[in-house]
Amino acid sequence: MTPFTEPPKRSDEPIWWALFSAGGVCFAVLMPGSILALALLPALGLTSADSLNYARVSALLYQALYGMAGLAFVGGVICLPLFHTAHRIQHGLHDLKLGGGLLSKICCYGLAAFASAIAIGLLLAGQLQ
Amino acid sequence: MNKTISISRYNPEQDSQPQLQTYQVVSEHSTSVLDALLQVQQQDPSLSLRWSCRMAICGSCGVMINGIPKLGCKTFVRDYPEQLVISPLAHFAVEKDLIVDMSPFLQHLSAVKPYLINAEKSLQPHKQTPAQLAKYQQFANCINCGLCYSACPQFGLNPEFIGPAAITLAQRYNLDSRDQGKAVRMPQLNSKNGVWACTFVGFCSEVCPKKVDPAAAVNQGKVASASDFIISMFTP
Ligand code: FES
Repeated sequence: MTPFTEPPKRSDEPIWWALFSAGGVCFAVLMPGSILALALLPALGLTSADSLNYARVSALLYQALYGMAGLAFVGGVICLPLFHTAHRIQHGLHDLKLGGGLLSKICCYGLAAFASAIAIGLLLAGQLQ
Repeated sequence: MNKTISISRYNPEQDSQPQLQTYQVVSEHSTSVLDALLQVQQQDPSLSLRWSCRMAICGSCGVMINGIPKLGCKTFVRDYPEQLVISPLAHFAVEKDLIVDMSPFLQHLSAVKPYLINAEKSLQPHKQTPAQLAKYQQFANCINCGLCYSACPQFGLNPEFIGPAAITLAQRYNLDSRDQGKAVRMPQLNSKNGVWACTFVGFCSEVCPKKVDPAAAVNQGKVASASDFIISMFTP
């Protein structure tokens, strides 16, 4: 082992870590609320079926707050959690000695970015209609 | 009371790999694992181990006890009524028996410049408020025993990871109001083998005999490194 001579290269990890942390908060806070409001309560008949009718949901998603509410929802419940998941998989692969290098990084974060782009694209397409 | 203990023995000049050997020791209520090892050394002077202070200060008697990194002098034989297996610290190369080569750890430690850096040549004492002291005091309790490196699965996978204790000491000085050396320490923390190699397993903090909580220091280091990253984007 050689002693450190020149300073090592800066890692790009803060970007992924920031997305991971933000995604973790969304996972912990927004996800359970969304599952409760969109899946459990309607399924148990505790909210009226009408509260999730097409007109209301599309208004919330596409028009509320000039479309910002829909963007925040998709960002917080789909995109950021995707990056959180990708980060865990990336580091899990490193732990299992199956990856963790550039290739798995491209696959993990690339997939998260791709799926996020589709989600946001679909949202914007609906908003612009 | 007689107690049977197993010790990992390895002589690189004769053995192809370490082997467990059992010994009988006399164990009383106050017999530490280090005491037991020293009894064995009386029976068999070829047993090699490191120790000095016998009071959890020097940090030299670290060994794996039933697979968990511990200080021999701070661990009691009475707490192991079943089996007691003593082996050298994990993730380091074994030199002989219970002696490991700590130089990777020491190199990582020196890389973060764990001392006060301050160009000011004043003869006046540097005053510090209790609040300023509290920021780093816990991290100053590290005795460099290396148990956290044996506990860290990421150091096991990647010996280039500068590791829990080095990052903790970097934080200890970065948080010290008398220090001006943060800029020269940050490049080590910012690298892929710095704070970013940690996946927050937290076992380092569990095994730390001084309750230093290296995992907390590493996570503070991640926040520091992330803000350093953002600042670097706006400075040429
Ligand atoms: S002998 Fe000094 S710490 Fe155990």
